[in-house]
Amino acid sequence: MPTALRSKGFIAVALLPALLLFLMFVIVPVFWSAYYGFFSWKGFGAASFIGLDNYREMFQDGIFWRALRNNLILVASSIIGQIPIALLLALLLLKNTLFSRFVRSAVFMPMVLSTVVVGLIWGYIYQTQFGLANTVLRMIGLESWTRAWLSDPQVNMLAISIPINWSNVGPYLVIFIAALQNISPEVDDAAKIDGAVGWRKLLYVTLPMIWGTVVVTLVLCISGSLKAFDHVIVMTGGGPARSTELLATYMYNSTFDVYRYGYGSAVSTMIILISALLIGINYILTRQKSG
Amino acid sequence: MKAKGKIGLLLLIVALLLSACGGESGEKAEGSKGKEEKVKLTIWHNFAGDDLRAKTVRSFIDQYKQDHPNVELDAQAIPPDGYRQRLSTVAAANEMPDLFFVYAGSHSSELYNAKLLQPVTEALDAHPEWRDKFLPGAFDAYKFEADQVYSVPLGMSATSILYYNTSLFEKYNVKVPTTWDEMMTAIKVFNENKITPIALGNKAPWVAQSTIIGSLADRVTGTDWFKNAVAQKDAKFTDPQFVEALGYFKELVDNKAFQEGANSIDNTQAEQYFIQGNAAMMISGAWTLTNLAASATEEQMKAIDVTVLPAIPGGKGDPNTITGGAGGGLALSSRTEGKAKEAALELIYAVSGPEAQKAIAESNSMVMYDTEIDQAKVTSLYYKAFNLVKKTGITPVYDAYLSADAADVINNGLQEIMMGGTPESVAQKVQDAQARSVTP
Repeated sequence: MPTALRSKGFIAVALLPALLLFLMFVIVPVFWSAYYGFFSWKGFGAASFIGLDNYREMFQDGIFWRALRNNLILVASSIIGQIPIALLLALLLLKNTLFSRFVRSAVFMPMVLSTVVVGLIWGYIYQTQFGLANTVLRMIGLESWTRAWLSDPQVNMLAISIPINWSNVGPYLVIFIAALQNISPEVDDAAKIDGAVGWRKLLYVTLPMIWGTVVVTLVLCISGSLKAFDHVIVMTGGGPARSTELLATYMYNSTFDVYRYGYGSAVSTMIILISALLIGINYILTRQKSG
Repeated sequence: MKAKGKIGLLLLIVALLLSACGGESGEKAEGSKGKEEKVKLTIWHNFAGDDLRAKTVRSFIDQYKQDHPNVELDAQAIPPDGYRQRLSTVAAANEMPDLFFVYAGSHSSELYNAKLLQPVTEALDAHPEWRDKFLPGAFDAYKFEADQVYSVPLGMSATSILYYNTSLFEKYNVKVPTTWDEMMTAIKVFNENKITPIALGNKAPWVAQSTIIGSLADRVTGTDWFKNAVAQKDAKFTDPQFVEALGYFKELVDNKAFQEGANSIDNTQAEQYFIQGNAAMMISGAWTLTNLAASATEEQMKAIDVTVLPAIPGGKGDPNTITGGAGGGLALSSRTEGKAKEAALELIYAVSGPEAQKAIAESNSMVMYDTEIDQAKVTSLYYKAFNLVKKTGITPVYDAYLSADAADVINNGLQEIMMGGTPESVAQKVQDAQARSVTP
């Protein structure tokens, strides 16, 4: 490798354009929006400083807590759903046969679809009168199981989490396959000689070898679920009666539907704080495990 | 060789451009040398689409351009999605165009409060025969001061038309409801025959509010009560009459008037559900006329008729009404003066005058103007609705008057009632939200 590429100066220069863009369009707005969070502001006209009132109101608002609960349901469902399914599929599809390549692409496909398309497709699947879900249930004689999947507050969060998991398994599958392929064959051979096969090999050899990757996917899962927005806004818009509101849709509705830019900014700052907290907890927990 | 050729081409283009510019400036110089100086006028509007209505309005602007060679008109058609944002941006910089399209309600009143508008009453007074043919209440939304009108509506919104499928009503021998009892009977009969009584697509939660509760509540409470409650003067949304009105909505829900899952499909899907004969009725706005004109067959539309919502026993409001109001219109910038103002007022007449109103009405779009339309030019369903609206009174649409916050609360509150919530608790929340925005 040429030495120029290794020099720190060159790396810094090469990173600079991307870093500048990132600073300007991500980091600065984050602080800017945190600053707006202390104001009562309608988006135009004068903003008045109200200190922590927005946060006080948020903590007293039942919808904020419902949104947070819904978000935590999504986090749990994605950790329970996406990661184990992706890992299992990765283990099964590791071999580079035609069949496994086909299945891999099939699993990855929903990720390539626009989330709006995914939302619309599942909206039709869940449609009460003619939707696929209810039609199939009726065909196999489970008439009593049919539901207004997206309207019924008892089931709608669950119904929403399925397409979100479905469309997000793909990238984790690819990440896991890459991690598994990185395990050197010597380790495999050593494990075989030591008699580690099946579950034992998975638990004591494979998993520890890819633990770093698992931690990364956990972080991605948590932050991804906390900023989930597009599927929900397409499928239910946070309704009915705000029963599927997530933090991000709550922020969006407060800002752009009722024109409370200051309050919306406070909510988005809260989303960042909650994500940081959860990722921090995850970091501490997983570090203990691997140690 | 190739590169040289490209450079040559580039030079040629530059030369052409330069010569073109030169030519234009020469012409301009000549023009200004003429007897009178050209009047410069800018207009911004949102009739940018390919639909019949937008094309009609644009054609009148073009016509004005041709008829007034002394006016140098710069007309900008901005797509509706970004229109309000574009206008607020120039409003903040105080660089408003001379004429611009404004929406009725909070949009125009905010611009008025920011002192960006001036009255267009002169244009109306110059043509009294035109002014007097507007429907009652056409200027209400634009009368920010007594005797001064700030815009002339180019259209009308009618949000609570009761569409019904005549063949289903005939098939099950049901009377088209004119009273609440008849409505309940109709709902019962259709449910017994596995037909959805009323199609509703309330995923975007403004639908039930805009199309049903406004009209229903007005029949119970009367319009004066509502306006007082909005102003929070001598009336509150917790008053028994409003709770009663929400109770009627709950009665519809409890009697399964709407199809299951109404809160998870959108208005367009509900329209399709209705036009395909799965539902006997649908309560919707004039936009459904436009949507159906584009998606349904003439045969399907022939079976559909329109009327108003049924009367409520003992209600204070006039039952022969539809919620609605003036649509948007052109407004005049407060900075436009002299010759430009004269030209602008003429342009307002050209775009919203009698001929234009007739042409807009004939593009399957409601107007706030008493005009005769050629039946052959519009869909049969639109023709029926057009004649219905002419004969009915207009009552306020809730979200056009409530604060954004309270409108959001009532929208979600109606969904809550559909999921088992009580009218009392919803009424309380609406009251709280409206009180909060009236007395900050």
